[in-house]
Amino acid sequence: MKRALTLFNLLMVAYVVAPIVLVVWMSFTPSMLFEVPIRSFSLRWYRELFSYDAFVDSAWLSLHLGLVAALVATALGFLAAYGLVRGRPPGSGVLLGLFTAPLIVPAVVYGIAMLQFTNLVGLYGSFPALVAAHVVIVLPFAVRTLLAALEGQGPELEWAAMSLGARRRHAVLLVTLPLCLRGMVSAFLFCFLISFSEVTVTLFMAGPAHQTLPVRIFNYVSDRIDPTMAAVSALVVLVSVALVLMLNRLGALGAVRK
Amino acid sequence: MSGGAAGRAALGVRLGGGVWLFLGPALALMLAVYLAPLFDTAVVSLHPNTPSGIDRGRWTIANYLRLVDTYYWDVLLRTLRVSVLITAFSVLLAYPVAVWLAGLGPRGQTWAILVYMSPWFVNAVVKSFGWTLILGNKGLVNRGLMNLGVIDTPLRLMLNETGIVIGLLPGHFLFVLLPLWAALKGLDGNLRWAAMTLGARPWQVFLRVTVPLTLPALLAGAIINFTMNMAAFAAPALLGGTRTRVLSFVAYQVNLEELNWPFGGALAVAMLVVTLGFVTVAQGVTRRGLAGGGR
Repeated sequence: MKRALTLFNLLMVAYVVAPIVLVVWMSFTPSMLFEVPIRSFSLRWYRELFSYDAFVDSAWLSLHLGLVAALVATALGFLAAYGLVRGRPPGSGVLLGLFTAPLIVPAVVYGIAMLQFTNLVGLYGSFPALVAAHVVIVLPFAVRTLLAALEGQGPELEWAAMSLGARRRHAVLLVTLPLCLRGMVSAFLFCFLISFSEVTVTLFMAGPAHQTLPVRIFNYVSDRIDPTMAAVSALVVLVSVALVLMLNRLGALGAVRK
Repeated sequence: MSGGAAGRAALGVRLGGGVWLFLGPALALMLAVYLAPLFDTAVVSLHPNTPSGIDRGRWTIANYLRLVDTYYWDVLLRTLRVSVLITAFSVLLAYPVAVWLAGLGPRGQTWAILVYMSPWFVNAVVKSFGWTLILGNKGLVNRGLMNLGVIDTPLRLMLNETGIVIGLLPGHFLFVLLPLWAALKGLDGNLRWAAMTLGARPWQVFLRVTVPLTLPALLAGAIINFTMNMAAFAAPALLGGTRTRVLSFVAYQVNLEELNWPFGGALAVAMLVVTLGFVTVAQGVTRRGLAGGGR
């Protein structure tokens, strides 16, 4: 019985990771074709990739967008989580529901809304509009991570600082924030990971000038397929896996729950 | 206690009205860049589309009536069918995985969970590309079977509903698995032991003790899984192709190719309403499950 379960799970794991592993493996093929097993190891497609300006531009855009969105979302998320935990204002539940709504509302719906809205206000295809949308999309992860971090430590040290004459902003900046450092780092990395993987909303609203890496791959895959795709996909996988391992180390993956 | 609260108030440590300084920025962002766009789309969906653009002067529900046209009705049925299939397979596969996980040591559990979560973290576009290498006409499966002489012509494993189900399942599996795993871990081992001492066989214990007690968690996870399947975009677009269109892909075409935003907006509102309805039910199930202990 136990053995049957283990065998079943090995097959199941093979199934769920198969496409990811295959893409990485294929990226090292020396040939034009996708043949398994690959005959020898080559970095040919990685070299091709770096001479392909469109992919390089998209990679920079994704990096830039992810960093800015994660930075803004972590800052807003900290403030919001602090307000919710320490202030407990009326309607806290509704506010938390609003901040985490992007987890539930389908990305397609928000993508359509942003496509139409950015056109209405004349910001379609602009970088600031894209940043704003990404901040909204990643905010739930920042708020959840930082709520957990703030709830994990009592307000006593902050009170102590304030009873000794510190103003609130100093107590928050010099006492609470350093105590939440782990949560801040987790929130930032989580937000970057989500922004870096986002494809649907970006595809709907970004316009042709701002093709992030996933959007570029989406448009490219529907067109033609060659191992350059495998190389760029393998790099995306590498970044995601590295971030997930860091988040796991920080104990921050609980924020995935719906 | 109240003396402490008064003391804190006197010290000025209570946030009071200052709380809005902290909540304000995130709230402003969500109002301006989230609720306003969604609201605008709902409004646009109630205007007619004309050759010269959206006619904001007139109101109509024609865009919603179009949703029940045969063509869109078929798309909706296909989306439902695919989503239900994925949820059903996820539920069937979740028990053996969750039971196995719960039997591992703490370190083993952490790593196994991480592996089962990994498809969710990896970009849907990249995964779909991987699936095309496996399921395509010249993919791994077809070439393997042809080399073995099992088949002469390639099987159609993608650009149809099969491809969507195979490709979408791993990424959404964890939303069934995680709640079920948590419920299994929280299960009082004495209950199973008691059933055993009363003469129940292992499969009877599983069917009559374990399953009923974990059903609310499973159901809540299944509903979330279902809503995610209904709304998925990138994987169905790449693995279903233009012939096997699901709702989200039609919404993409209507908004970005036909540029019919009122109708595209109606599609968005419909998807939103359906999703929120299901999620509300899922939350109700979870809450009742926690209060009633499963029954």
